[in-house]
Amino acid sequence: MSTPVLDVSGLSLGFRQDGRMLGILDGISFRAEAGKTLAIVGESGCGKSVASLAIMGLLPENAEVSGNARLMGRDLLGMSAEERRALRGAEMAMIFQEPMTSLNPAFTAGEQVAEALRLHQRLDRDAAFKAAIAMLEKVRIPDAARRARQYPHQLSGGMRQRVMIAIALACRPKLLIADEPTTALDVTVQAQILGLLDDLKRETGTAVILITHDLGVVADHADDVVVMYAGRVAEQARAADLFARPEHPYTVGLLGAAPAAGVRGERLASIEGTVPDLRAPPPGCRFAPRCPFAIARCAEGAPPLTEVAPGHFSACLRAPLDGMLGVAA
Amino acid sequence: MTALLELRDVVKHFPVRDALGRRAGAVHAVDGVSLSVAEGEVLAIVGESGCGKSTLGRVMLRLIEPDSGSVRFAGEDLASLSPSALRTRRRDMQIIFQDPFGSLDPRMTVAQAIAEPLRLHRLVPRAEEASRVAELLRRVGLRPESAGRWPHEFSGGQRQRIAIARALASNPRLIIGDEPVSALDVSVQAQVINLLRDLIRDLRLTFVLVSHDLGVVRHVADRVAVMYLGRIVEEGPAEEVLGAPRHPYTRALVAAMPGAQTKTPPLDGDVPSPIAPPSGCRFHTRCAFAAERCRTETPRLEGVGHAVACHFAESLPPPAERIAALGGGERLARLQAFFRGQAPSPTGMGDHA
Repeated sequence: MSTPVLDVSGLSLGFRQDGRMLGILDGISFRAEAGKTLAIVGESGCGKSVASLAIMGLLPENAEVSGNARLMGRDLLGMSAEERRALRGAEMAMIFQEPMTSLNPAFTAGEQVAEALRLHQRLDRDAAFKAAIAMLEKVRIPDAARRARQYPHQLSGGMRQRVMIAIALACRPKLLIADEPTTALDVTVQAQILGLLDDLKRETGTAVILITHDLGVVADHADDVVVMYAGRVAEQARAADLFARPEHPYTVGLLGAAPAAGVRGERLASIEGTVPDLRAPPPGCRFAPRCPFAIARCAEGAPPLTEVAPGHFSACLRAPLDGMLGVAA
Repeated sequence: MTALLELRDVVKHFPVRDALGRRAGAVHAVDGVSLSVAEGEVLAIVGESGCGKSTLGRVMLRLIEPDSGSVRFAGEDLASLSPSALRTRRRDMQIIFQDPFGSLDPRMTVAQAIAEPLRLHRLVPRAEEASRVAELLRRVGLRPESAGRWPHEFSGGQRQRIAIARALASNPRLIIGDEPVSALDVSVQAQVINLLRDLIRDLRLTFVLVSHDLGVVRHVADRVAVMYLGRIVEEGPAEEVLGAPRHPYTRALVAAMPGAQTKTPPLDGDVPSPIAPPSGCRFHTRCAFAAERCRTETPRLEGVGHAVACHFAESLPPPAERIAALGGGERLARLQAFFRGQAPSPTGMGDHA
């Protein structure tokens, strides 16, 4: 296996609040490889967004991080804020859900792409603006030379997200983190943007981390998947394997709850109860209180992420789940 | 089946004004929509942002006054009703909104929020109010003890249950759900979808679901109307419209559904502005099959049972086949049966999400 672009291991994170620590991430590990898309999937509060902020070095003051995160072998968590800032934009970049709030309303689309180029590539103003127009063409903005002179409010939501992608990719980063990049967009525009990310990843070899709550998006666009629940990794596998043979009960439940799946007219196989309060997480497996397969031992300690099939990991004492069905694995 | 709700040629434009307050055009939110919803039916209105689906939902309740056209509820023209008669009628028609955080007054306890419509319409004597509130809470899967608590103490899914209980308080015949589960996490969304389905069946509700999410629609709706820039482009039984879509726009929507894994290329471009919608068929600027006629002539919504507004509906090539990536096999179905059959495990609050 080639060296991963990003190698995260045992990443833990908490926020200091009123003299107490609120634990958000509890020892998560994953790798992102060149030219591939790793999807991190989970519901609100599972820690998927905060993990990417930790990698980018965008956490607030009261955060405490431990563990390891290496970008092309360089230790991200140990380096100074200045070193990390130099990497942001040049080696790693991030796009967010709402492009309107990420773009500066006072500058044109072209100026904002050009600024990213000038910061990292020492281009003069004219050369940068020309290169910016080329970038806008690359993200398939029609009539890029004219659009480059427009302000964010003159662009549609899909167009704004294309501008964000152009800014993020301006300096050919090794890693692009896309945090729910299409959640605010209409479904036909979502398909365009995700298709664009797929093409750019193939062309440039950028490693993409796609953070999403939507398993349908994962099925269509991811090579590898990490399923997170309440600050821990529940399951990790190649995308095709995860959908063919999910091995964590939470994944099984999520797949059943997705309204795009299941038999029309049948009740959805919803997961009862709510996500645990991280101020007082349940002992042992955090999914156990909602899990139909839970046994007493599940409450005794955090189940380790175990390889249940080649390259397929599940943090469940009862995996492989074929045992639940009374058939041989 | 008789129609409980009937819309005829409904038009609603919103004026757009320039910086000096002069009229500078109009948003063509709804542009000549006719629809009927049978008693006990679940009709979904689907489309992307700006297609007019939410406006149409509000016109149905006369929360928005249409410019022209008629809205009849149980045979009665809503526009002809006096304000007091309309108020009485409203008992029968309720709406649930997307944002469970914005739709409950933070200064009212759960009991007050649910009892408000009971008092407004003088539906139960004060002495029986508490027991009716408790009954409604149980109905939506919350504990009656929740009555004395405040909205901020509840999660998004629980708040949406409270909003549903409030909508049910006046025993309505018709409920409009405007993206009622769009703001919720997947696992919570599934719980609320199941609840809505149970309520629709048990209380024989007529339900209009306004939604952009075809997955949700697929699970709840009997019939589907697809809107594009203020007009209905296709309308028919849910399994036909979603399973064998006929209008090019519906096909693109179905193909763009995440997890559909079709090889159909996504639509180009954005939805045009509803202030200056394209001539003829409004979809022609993005349609792979568009011909000259589509630019000039507006197609009529035609067909009995399953209607399509496309000049070439009869001659289009069959749509690409879909592979259901998430539906995955017997093993998954058997594992999921454990989630379906299982009683809720005790959580901290003992309530549903």
